[in-house]
Amino acid sequence: MTKKTSEADALRKALRRADTSLLVYAVALFQVSAMLLLTLRTDPIDRQALLLAGAMPAVTLLCAKGLPRFWKIDRVVLTLVLFLCSVSLVTLTAIARASVTALTQAVYIAVGLFGMVVGIVFIRHFRHWNRWKIVFMALSVAFIALPLAIGETKYGAKNWIQVVPDVVSVQPSEFVKMSLMVVLAACLSERQSRAMKLLSILFGAALCGVLLLERDLGALLLYFLTTVILYFIATSNGWLSLAGLGVGAAGAVGAYYVFDLVRERVRIWQNPWADAADSGYQLIQSLIAIGSGGLIGMGLGLGMPRMIPLYHSDFVFAAICEQFGMIFALCLLAVYALVILRGISIAMSCRDGFHALLAFGIVTILGLQTLLIVGGNIRLIPLTGVTLPFIAAGGSSMVSCLTGVGMLLGISSLNADQDEEDVRRAQWQEGERA
Amino acid sequence: MRELRRNMRLIGVLLVCFFVGVGGWFGYTTWTQGSRWAMSSSNTRLNRAKNSVVMGSITDRDGYALAWTDAEGVRRYAGDFAVRLALSQTVGDTMSMSGTGVQTFFASTLVGMSGSIIDRTWQWLSGETARGDDIQLTVDAKLSGVIAQNFPSGYTGAVVVINYKTGEILAPVSMPEYDPESLGTNVPDTAYFNRCLQGRYTPGSTFKIVTLASALENLPGALSHAFTCAGSREFGGGAVTCLSGTKAHGQMDLHSAFVESCNVSFATLSYELGQSALLRTAEAFGFDDDFTFSDVMLYASSFPKDIGSVSELAWSGVGQGRVLVTPLHMAMIAGAVANGGVMMEPKLVKQITGSTGLPRLRAAPGVYRRVMSASTASIIGSYMEDTVASGTGSRARIQGYTVCGKTGSAETSDDKNVETNAWFVGYLAEEQYPYAVAVVLEQGGSGGNLAATLAAKALSEAIDLVG
Repeated sequence: MTKKTSEADALRKALRRADTSLLVYAVALFQVSAMLLLTLRTDPIDRQALLLAGAMPAVTLLCAKGLPRFWKIDRVVLTLVLFLCSVSLVTLTAIARASVTALTQAVYIAVGLFGMVVGIVFIRHFRHWNRWKIVFMALSVAFIALPLAIGETKYGAKNWIQVVPDVVSVQPSEFVKMSLMVVLAACLSERQSRAMKLLSILFGAALCGVLLLERDLGALLLYFLTTVILYFIATSNGWLSLAGLGVGAAGAVGAYYVFDLVRERVRIWQNPWADAADSGYQLIQSLIAIGSGGLIGMGLGLGMPRMIPLYHSDFVFAAICEQFGMIFALCLLAVYALVILRGISIAMSCRDGFHALLAFGIVTILGLQTLLIVGGNIRLIPLTGVTLPFIAAGGSSMVSCLTGVGMLLGISSLNADQDEEDVRRAQWQEGERA
Repeated sequence: MRELRRNMRLIGVLLVCFFVGVGGWFGYTTWTQGSRWAMSSSNTRLNRAKNSVVMGSITDRDGYALAWTDAEGVRRYAGDFAVRLALSQTVGDTMSMSGTGVQTFFASTLVGMSGSIIDRTWQWLSGETARGDDIQLTVDAKLSGVIAQNFPSGYTGAVVVINYKTGEILAPVSMPEYDPESLGTNVPDTAYFNRCLQGRYTPGSTFKIVTLASALENLPGALSHAFTCAGSREFGGGAVTCLSGTKAHGQMDLHSAFVESCNVSFATLSYELGQSALLRTAEAFGFDDDFTFSDVMLYASSFPKDIGSVSELAWSGVGQGRVLVTPLHMAMIAGAVANGGVMMEPKLVKQITGSTGLPRLRAAPGVYRRVMSASTASIIGSYMEDTVASGTGSRARIQGYTVCGKTGSAETSDDKNVETNAWFVGYLAEEQYPYAVAVVLEQGGSGGNLAATLAAKALSEAIDLVG
C-alpha cells in the first residue's frame, strides 16, 4: 500500500515543472544593468533607456511569473525567449542611429507578447483543425501572394505590403510561416489519408512558388526545408524526403544560374575581399566587426557597429559580436539551442500527432532561421535574407516568432494538463484499491 | 507515435549538431582570424583607436626614435631634421597622407589591435592603459639622412639601399620630402608619394640585366654572340637607336654590349629571344607579380604580356615602352645578381615589441624566389663589375671596394628636349658589406653622371654607418 502511494508521488515528482525563478531574476538583472548603463551613456541622460530599464524587468516578471499562473506553460522556453527579446532591445538601444528604432522594437515586442498569449489561447481552445485546414490553406496562399498585387520591393524582394502607408508595413511571408506549420501539422498527423499528406506537400510547393515570384529566396529556403523535414518526420518516408532535398538542391543550382542575386551572393561568400569596397562591403564589415569585438567585445554602446550595413536587421549578430564579444555570442547561440532542445522535448511528450508536429515544426523553423542567418554573418554559408528570431529589428518577424512560441507554450500547457490528469487518475486508482 | 518520436529525435539531434557546428566554426574562425579581420584597412575603428590609444613608437635599427607619442599625447618625429624628412614617407603620418607609411600600413600594430586575442584580453584584465606595440624598423636613420642631404638639389627621385643577403631595407629615400609635424603647410607637390615603393618608372638600360639573364639562360651560344652596331637598327618598321647617337658602337660582343650599354645589340638579343622567353624571365624576376610582402606595400612592376609588334619587343628588351619598375624592385634585382641568383623578400620591420616589453616578432630573412641560376648571376655580376670598372658606370667607383652596377637613361618622352630619367643600380661585391642600391633621378640626364655619383656616395656611407 505504501509502495503504491509512492508511485503516484514519484509520477508527480517527475512531472514537477522546472522552477525558473533564479533565471528570471538573472534576466531582469541583465535588463536593468544594461539599460542603466545605456541611460548614463549620454549627457543629458537617455530618458528612453531609463524608461526601458524600468519597463523591461516589469514586463518580464509579469510574463514569467504571471502567465504560468493561468496555464501550466513551459517556464524555461518562456524565460529564455524573454531574454532573447531583451538582448534585442538592449542591442538596438546601444547601436541604433535613431532612438525611435528601439522604441518601435519595444512596441513590436509588446504586440508580439500579446500574440504569444493569443497563441496559447488559440492552441488550448481551438480544436477544429481538421475542418478548417482547407480554409487556412486558402487564406495563407492568398495572403502570401498579396505583395505580388499590391506589394513593394525591398532589397530585391517584393515581399512587403503597406497596411498604413509609411507607418505600418507587413511582411506576409513571416506570418504565413506559422500558418504553414499549422496546416502541415494538421495534414500530416497520423489519421490523415495519403492524399491529404500529398496535398500538404503541394501546399508547401505552392507557397514556395509564390515566394519565388516575389524573389524572397531566404524565406523560400526556410519553407522548403521545414516542409521536407516535417513530411519526413510524419511519414518516415526517407527516400521521398531525400528525393525532395535533391529537387531542392537542383533548384538551388538552377537559381544560381537564373538569378544574378544568387550568383552575386555566392561570389561574395567565396571571396568577399576581392571587392571589399563594393559588393563585398557588407560581409567584410561584418567580419571586421566580429574581429574587432574579440573575446569580450568592445563594450556596450562602444565600437562602431553602424559601420556594418543593416546592422540592426540582417547583420545584427555581427553587431552583437562587436558589442558583447565572442563568448557572449556563443552563449547566445547556446540559448537558441536550449530553446530548441526544450521545444523538441515538448514535441516528444505530446499525446497526439498534430500537436507534436506543430511543436516540432515551430522549433525547426526557428532553429533553421537562426542557423541560416548566423552562418551567413560569419561567412560559413552565403548570406540569405532571413531574420534572427526575437532579435533582429522588425515587427513582422517579432510578432510571428512570438506567436509561434505562444503556440509552443500552449502545447506544453496541454501536455502538463494531461500529465496532471494522469497523476489524478493514478491517485484515484490507488484510492479505489485502498 | 513511436515512429514519430524516433524521427523527431533523429532530426532534433541533427539540428543540435548543426548548432554545435555553426558555433564551433564561429568560435574557431574568430579565434584564429579575428585579429586579421580587425587589422583590415577597411576597419574604420582603427582610426578612432589612434585617438584613444597611446600609439606605439617607431625606432630605427639602432633604436634611434623616429616617431613617438609624448606626454601630452602629441605625435613627435625624429629630432634630427634631416632624418625626419628623409624617412617621412617611410614612417608616414597619423593622417595617412603618405598611404604606404608604417603608421598607416602597421596602424593596427601601433594601436595594439594586431596582438592575439589572448593578448588583448590580458591587457583588458590587467587594466593597463591602452598602449600599442612598438616597432623597430630595419632602416638606418643616419644613412637615410646623409643620402637625402647628398641628393642633388632641384631634382626629384628615389634612392633605396638594401642588404641583399637579408632583404632588409636600410635607406629608403624619396624626394621631395615633407615634415610630418607640419602636414599641409609648405608640402611640395607629390611629397606624400613614396617613390621607392610606389614610383613605377621606365627602367631603361637597367632592364638589360633581365634581358641579359634571359639570353644567358635561353640562347645557346649567347656568350660568343657578335653584334654590329651602326647606331641604329630597324625592327619591324621602328628604329632602335643608341643614345650615344652621333657615334656608333661598331663591333660588339655580349660583354662590351652590356658594359657600353648598346641598345642595338640588346634589341637584337630581345628580338632573337622572342616575347615569350623574355616575358618568362621578366616574370621570374618578379615583373607582373602583385607583391604581397608582409612588410611593405610594394607596387607591382610590369612587363607587357601582349606585345603587339617586333618594334615593341625590341624596345622592351632595352627597358623602354610599357616596361615599368619601382626603385625598390630594381635594388632587389641588383641584389639578386649579387646574391647568387636568389632574390630576398624586402624587410622593413626588424622587431615588434608588445606593451609587456617582450619582443613579439623578430624578422627572419625570407627568400622571395630564385630568379636565375647561380652561374647566370655570376656572369652578369662580372659584367656589372666591368661596367663600373671601365664602362658607363665609372663614376660609381669607390676606392678600395668592388662596386658592380648598371646605368640607365630612360626616355620618358618623345620630345628630345626632355632629359632622360637617370638610373643607377648596383651593389658592393664585399662579403662584409652586402649592400645593393637603386637610384633614380627624374630628368637627371645620363645614368652615368649624377645617378652613379649618388649611388657611390650611398654605398660608401653605408659601409661607414651601417653596423
